[in-house]
Amino acid sequence: MPEVRVRTEDLTKVFYDDGRGEVRAVDSVNITCESGEILGLLGANGAGKTTTLRMLATVLAPTGGNAWVHGHEVREAAEQVRASLGFYSASTALYPKITPRETLRFFARVNNYPKARLEQRVEYLIDRFGMESFSDSRVEKLSSGMKQKVSIARTVAHDPPVLIFDEPTVALDVLNAIELRDIIAKLRDDGKAIIFSTHIMSEAEQLCDRIAIIHHGRILATDTLDGLRQSTGHHYLEDIFVHYANSSGSDDAIGMVSDEVVG
Amino acid sequence: MKITPTVRAIIGLELRSLIRDVRTVLMSIVLPVLLMPVILLISVQMEDRRVERESTRTYTFAVTGAEGAMAGDLLRDHLGSETTQSDGVRLARVEVEDPRAALEADELDFYLEALSAREWQEAAEADSTLRPGLDDFDDTPVFRLVIKSDRTASRNGADELSDRLIDIRSDRRDSVLIAAGFPIPPAEVAVFDTANVASLDEVQGARMGRFLTLFLVMLMVMGGSVLAVDTLAGEKERGTLVTILTTAASRDEIVTAKLLAVIAVALAIAVVQVVNLWVYLGLDLIPVGSSFAVSITPGTAAILLVLYLPIVALTAGLLLLTSAYAKSFKEAQLWLTPVLLGMIAPTLAPLLPNLQLQSAIIVVPIANVSIAVRDVLVGQPSWLAVGIAWSITAAVAAWVTSLSVRALSDEAVITGDTTRAEFLGGPALFRARVLRLFMLFWAVKVLIDFNLAWDDLRVTIFMNVGVVFLAFPLILIRIFKLDPVEALALRAPKPGVWIAVLLGAPAGLLAFTIVAQFVNLFIPVPPEMLENFGQALLPPDIPVWQIIVMMSVIPGIVEELTFRGILIHGLRTRWSPTLIALVTGLMFGFFHFQLFRIPGTAVLGMILASVVLMTGSVFPAMLWHILNNGLALYLATQDVDLSVESWPVGVAALAALGMSMWLIWKNRTPYPGLTKATRFASEPATTLASGRR
Repeated sequence: MPEVRVRTEDLTKVFYDDGRGEVRAVDSVNITCESGEILGLLGANGAGKTTTLRMLATVLAPTGGNAWVHGHEVREAAEQVRASLGFYSASTALYPKITPRETLRFFARVNNYPKARLEQRVEYLIDRFGMESFSDSRVEKLSSGMKQKVSIARTVAHDPPVLIFDEPTVALDVLNAIELRDIIAKLRDDGKAIIFSTHIMSEAEQLCDRIAIIHHGRILATDTLDGLRQSTGHHYLEDIFVHYANSSGSDDAIGMVSDEVVG
Repeated sequence: MKITPTVRAIIGLELRSLIRDVRTVLMSIVLPVLLMPVILLISVQMEDRRVERESTRTYTFAVTGAEGAMAGDLLRDHLGSETTQSDGVRLARVEVEDPRAALEADELDFYLEALSAREWQEAAEADSTLRPGLDDFDDTPVFRLVIKSDRTASRNGADELSDRLIDIRSDRRDSVLIAAGFPIPPAEVAVFDTANVASLDEVQGARMGRFLTLFLVMLMVMGGSVLAVDTLAGEKERGTLVTILTTAASRDEIVTAKLLAVIAVALAIAVVQVVNLWVYLGLDLIPVGSSFAVSITPGTAAILLVLYLPIVALTAGLLLLTSAYAKSFKEAQLWLTPVLLGMIAPTLAPLLPNLQLQSAIIVVPIANVSIAVRDVLVGQPSWLAVGIAWSITAAVAAWVTSLSVRALSDEAVITGDTTRAEFLGGPALFRARVLRLFMLFWAVKVLIDFNLAWDDLRVTIFMNVGVVFLAFPLILIRIFKLDPVEALALRAPKPGVWIAVLLGAPAGLLAFTIVAQFVNLFIPVPPEMLENFGQALLPPDIPVWQIIVMMSVIPGIVEELTFRGILIHGLRTRWSPTLIALVTGLMFGFFHFQLFRIPGTAVLGMILASVVLMTGSVFPAMLWHILNNGLALYLATQDVDLSVESWPVGVAALAALGMSMWLIWKNRTPYPGLTKATRFASEPATTLASGRR
């Protein structure tokens, strides 16, 4: 029986920008994510994806609304929230001077993984992600594909119930991106609740169980791909996205799709 | 500060990463360890060789002038042959055609001009820098040593001959005196001697106490910076900061771990350097005077260790803070030099003569502990003062550490986005640049004040105050296309405010003149604490009304436009109102270049800034400023000294000042655009965020 592991309630982030004044980067966002599910957060650059996910990871503080991760409230129990999730993005790099084995040990420890089972867990991860051949070389000496494996392994080092992938494929070549998507799909099959943000339509189509379309900080629709097709009458996700973006009353939606949303 | 397993894990990561960074270890640990003794050894040997060469060398000189023959005879009579020798120093007299040319050509080390009184007189008339001749003794010859002081040999040789000539003069004087019937040998009229009752420990303690803290801080900063610049700024640059911030580690744990790691590395490098030096000293590879060796008892060592704890923590904390706020590794390195200088300046306090711990210095962090250390080493500490000094520095260290924790929660610092303002220009750019512009303005104002003065004091004040402080905000308004009404807060306040100002300005002047007297008991400063223009400043030939216009009306208007107008406008989105008032006041103080005026003007500036922030208008502050200066001036011209009033009057004045502020608060119109002022504004708190995107 799947359980709801992430829930937001009118989650809002207002920035004060010197040039533009008040900016509602995230505006009353309501999403949920269950165990064994990949929720896709689909939106153009600047739509509020990263800000939403960083609020879930307690890096940024919400200015309105609330969010719960694995039952912990992001404001009140930030450390428990972070202990229950693994956060992966293009901006979460690895420490270059230590080895993959040391990396996994370190992240399992700081995420309070039980000390007695720690070594066992590290060995399991090295085996599971196929890192035996380079587990004792320094991270700085690894290829980008190897680093990607280490990065995912460190994200799940403490076996968290919730995983957040913030545009993980953005800096990857095609083969590495495919491999990463396979791994994420397997993690879903392990029963993790996964939130996956992207601006790439095909990626969302292939990978996500449900898709939340975010535009100008607001969630315009959340449904399975089939559900979205039925409600809009369009087949392709790109058309569906444009449909919602247009109906949101914003005049630059088409421009954003053609300029920034690559299929 | 708790050492949790997470803290231990992060320390382990930091230290492991550092040790594996071969280049850093080589450059910042191994190389200095090897280089320091080498540099010391070379410099000691060079110094030895130089001294040896100077002491055994032969100085060549010539004798010239109308009395040259007489001088030659004199030297021969008293020093033997033309070449003289004592203590290995030889003075060789040679004959040359043109001694000046020979000196320039380095063929001579110096030469002696033996002039007749007439020649000297002529020379003195031609050159006003020469001492005038001795009128009463027309036949007194004058010996003048001509040297080229850029050459050590020239100076030393001339000194040597000068000593001999003075000896000759003494001998001749004594023989003349004895011949005239002086009853005892003239040199024995009085005998001088010195007795030193300081113990060896006291002498050595005083000597070492002066430099010990300076030494420690320098080694700490140099050692600690190796890890510190990399630890947060480097993480931002590498992108590992978000990685660690999304783990279960708390901000406190992260900062604690990094602080301890910085301390560990700083101390390790300091210890390595000291031990290294010790070994070389112990092996006598580097000869030093016995004065360097100081015997420290284990008890004193323990006290020093405790005393230095807050300094160590503060040094590490400042380094970490620098790293936290720097956007990149490179920026952190750029900040290191100012941080190092800022840290070292207070450690120089023990070098100041007669500076006691029981003075204003006790509130200056680092400086107070430096002096406490000196007192402990000399063996005469006042333990109460030492305790106060320690607590103050410890409190500042804790505060600095908490700032680092806060930096990790500051969204603008974490996300490290460069400001959009630079692309937008205009008002947004002004807000980003305002502090830098004021620093620049300060430097320009220093140049103006110390270089520009007209004959008429009125013109000087008009130009250096009136024009400068009016021009600066106007130029900024033009460059950044600001709205003048908004930028200078040219709005009408509620009428009640005016009454409050009429009460507050005189009350404030009275209160602070009296309070300053009491502060004086603890912190000795000249009595001119407030903007009290003393009698000396008031030229008698200028009518009183003109003085009042020049020194109160003009500054009251233009200084308010600059500080409470455009400065507050620029800072309004940056900080809370309290911080804006404090910073505005301090900056206003620092624009008064005489040190003793800074505290008083800073306090006045803070009050005026609060008035503007509460009324949203610059005008009440102008009136307050004019009244304050005008009253102070008027009282000074009437020879009234407020500081003689007793403390009940001071308390009453403070109460009146408080009442005035309360009245202003009651009639407040909050300053528009204060984004960090949720508790300050009269409206309910908004949901505005404090971070920048």
